[in-house]
Amino acid sequence: MELRGKTVITGMAELAPAINPGGRTSLGLLSEVAGKAIRDAGLQKAEIDGLLVTPPAEDSTFMWPAQVADYLKMRPGFLNMVELGGASGCGTVTRAALAVAAGLCRHCLCLSGGIEDEQIFNWGEGTMAFMSRAEIDYELPHGPMGFNSGYALIARRHMHQYGTTPEQMAKIAVEQRQNALLNPTALFNKKSINISDVLSSPLIVDPLHLWEIVRPCSGAAAVIVSRAVEAADIPQVPVFILGVGEACTHNSIVYSDDMTVSPIKDSAARAFGMASFRPADIDLLSLYDCYPITVIITLEDAGFCTKGEGGAFVESHDLTYKGDRPLNTHGGQLSFGQPSYAGGMSHVIEAVRQLRGTAGKRQIRRNRTAFVNGNGGIMSTQSSLIFGRENT
Amino acid sequence: MTDHPKNKLREKGHNALAIQFCPSCARYVFYPRELCPYCLEFTLEWREATGRGKVYSYTVVRKSVLSAFEHMVPYIFAVVELEEGVRIPGRIIDCAIDEVKIDMPVELVWKSEGAKNNPLFRPIRDK
Repeated sequence: MELRGKTVITGMAELAPAINPGGRTSLGLLSEVAGKAIRDAGLQKAEIDGLLVTPPAEDSTFMWPAQVADYLKMRPGFLNMVELGGASGCGTVTRAALAVAAGLCRHCLCLSGGIEDEQIFNWGEGTMAFMSRAEIDYELPHGPMGFNSGYALIARRHMHQYGTTPEQMAKIAVEQRQNALLNPTALFNKKSINISDVLSSPLIVDPLHLWEIVRPCSGAAAVIVSRAVEAADIPQVPVFILGVGEACTHNSIVYSDDMTVSPIKDSAARAFGMASFRPADIDLLSLYDCYPITVIITLEDAGFCTKGEGGAFVESHDLTYKGDRPLNTHGGQLSFGQPSYAGGMSHVIEAVRQLRGTAGKRQIRRNRTAFVNGNGGIMSTQSSLIFGRENT
Repeated sequence: MTDHPKNKLREKGHNALAIQFCPSCARYVFYPRELCPYCLEFTLEWREATGRGKVYSYTVVRKSVLSAFEHMVPYIFAVVELEEGVRIPGRIIDCAIDEVKIDMPVELVWKSEGAKNNPLFRPIRDK
């Protein structure tokens, strides 16, 4: 089954991330964003016959797709939960494309997000909810700080092997903030920051500073994937799915062959191979950013620069919406916020916005193609996507 | 196979530990498993490791939200590459936080912490 160009993103919606969800529930947020995406696509709810969800943040995972379908009074003919950590958002889009192209459904709704539970994410002993048995047995007794210390190990090793500097990493947070200033829904969109602001923010887990660490929050995002032939009938500019690719080489970062090399090498190669694109063909980069080092390694492993040159690449390019290499024009998660599993969907949503030409004041001028990457765990599971405004 | 793993490291003297080895793959395995992850057979046996290795990477934790570690900050959380070729997570002790470096030689030392006996590492200093 050929997948390239067979499916199109017909609808999408995103709720503003919130530190305080004000009594809302995960199912409430998901139904709100689902309604917005369905209206965006000009569809009726009854026409949605596929449903893919990412895991809930607070509810029981048991029968979660059915829980969501029931709450929304939907009757999908294809449904599943996708758990790839931060890669889940991209992972739902890939699976929706597969199901739609195979004829299992016509319009597949991908839903992610929920209420952030401060008790479990990155905080205290509750962080065990995110750990494998091996991590609990052999890492936890040594006081790791969840995702923070995992990425700190990677950053330290990258600095050692390639001479990557704190300033290069900080520049990513700075330029993403510049993008966020033009995103009305970003959590941090009031104040610009500079490199010394980032490097003088508290050192949390050496070498990661506070402003290089993503802020978990509440929120939700939805994407609708449909058959390419539907593109003619939708009210929006169609965004075609031209390439998809996934890869996983480890779970805990302790056991990856080389901490500075991620499975993005394979996931991106697969996506570029399917699309018959090269990195030079990409106009927008929408890259999972839990920490700046994630972006640097993604740039290297996806082939936008050679291994070890990620820091120099960041230094020599303007990554803002008006720059020569626009990257995370919504502010990235570092400035937009990380609304649970919808954090990884924010990169998909922004890519669709930019390709549609509806990104407002931060609209990029050359907007034919986008490379989107979702990253799960500690540079573990990767899901890469290539979008194009034209199905050529 | 004797000594079926309960997936726990055991102390082997003060500065050695037992890790798994698959004779048919000729490879050490860490973390402990029921089957060898390379050949997927019940071949794993326990071998005594030297307990020596070098720091593969590290981070200095400045702020810990784990109740057992709050009072310990700053401490060094590291990944150590053992001489046997496998990596193991561990804290580095008896080491100033500005002394730790990647590739620094370290040796294992067991330390009882609460109800647990934990394998930690300390720098190997020239005598």
